[in-house]
Amino acid sequence: MGASVMAIEASPYGIPSKKLGMWLFIIADASTFGAMLFAYGYLRVANPNWTRPFALWPTIANGIVMTVVLLTSSLTMVAAVLAAQGGRKTASLRWMGATMLLGVVFAALHLREWLAMIGEGWRLFRNPLGGPVLFGATFFGITGLHLLHVVTGVVVIGVIALGFRRARFDAGHVETTALYWHFVDLVWMFVFPLVYLMNVR
Amino acid sequence: MRPYVIVWCGLLVIVAAEVAATFAHLATGTQLAVLLALAVLEAGLALLYFMRLRYERPRLFWSLIPALVVVLILMDHFWPDAVRLLRQRLTAP
Repeated sequence: MGASVMAIEASPYGIPSKKLGMWLFIIADASTFGAMLFAYGYLRVANPNWTRPFALWPTIANGIVMTVVLLTSSLTMVAAVLAAQGGRKTASLRWMGATMLLGVVFAALHLREWLAMIGEGWRLFRNPLGGPVLFGATFFGITGLHLLHVVTGVVVIGVIALGFRRARFDAGHVETTALYWHFVDLVWMFVFPLVYLMNVR
Repeated sequence: MRPYVIVWCGLLVIVAAEVAATFAHLATGTQLAVLLALAVLEAGLALLYFMRLRYERPRLFWSLIPALVVVLILMDHFWPDAVRLLRQRLTAP
């Protein structure tokens, strides 16, 4: 009678708690990005002379390449999850490596664009074209927070891949990390049209 | 993997449609409506397939997504103040 008996109760959602935790984080983070995009919309409505500085070349063309890179990185992350769940560890690690590489390419393209804009005189509170100064604050604020998420995602995927290789983490960890990465992609699906395409002159 | 590649192709087509809509030089309100509709469609595909919400229990979807939608709708309460700022602007001398 000394042995303790522990009842195992299934999750009402049918998923591990770490995955539910990631979903809750995603919903909270989506609200944060939602609030930033609403603030940007608020400023645009209140400023009829809002600056629309972007042209097809180079900004929108660069944005299209960045979008394709990020969408492709989501596909490679799906491949990593499917390989991990199928017990193909080496393939999963390679797909995670490809995802990280695409994430780095996205960040590099983003930084190149930022440096070009800073070179033209754009700052958080300075508009070289003479329009509302808050353009820089909203643009660098929203894209900067997204870039931070991308860089964080690349680091997290690296940590998970290392742990997965050493059998410290399992396919469930890869899947949970993939959820975060897809969310980063999902946010860009709103940032690109609202912050880039809506500001084409 | 095939369904995911099809979804990825669909997402690329939506991005192309967004760029085409932008350079069709629509009225600002129409452009915003078209771009938002396409972005929501894109996000829906990513949620259902890449994030695999389609394959989870419906309970998970109903516990998460309506809450976010309500939060985003509640943020719309601030538009009248933005319009007020627009209306009270002085005309340039």
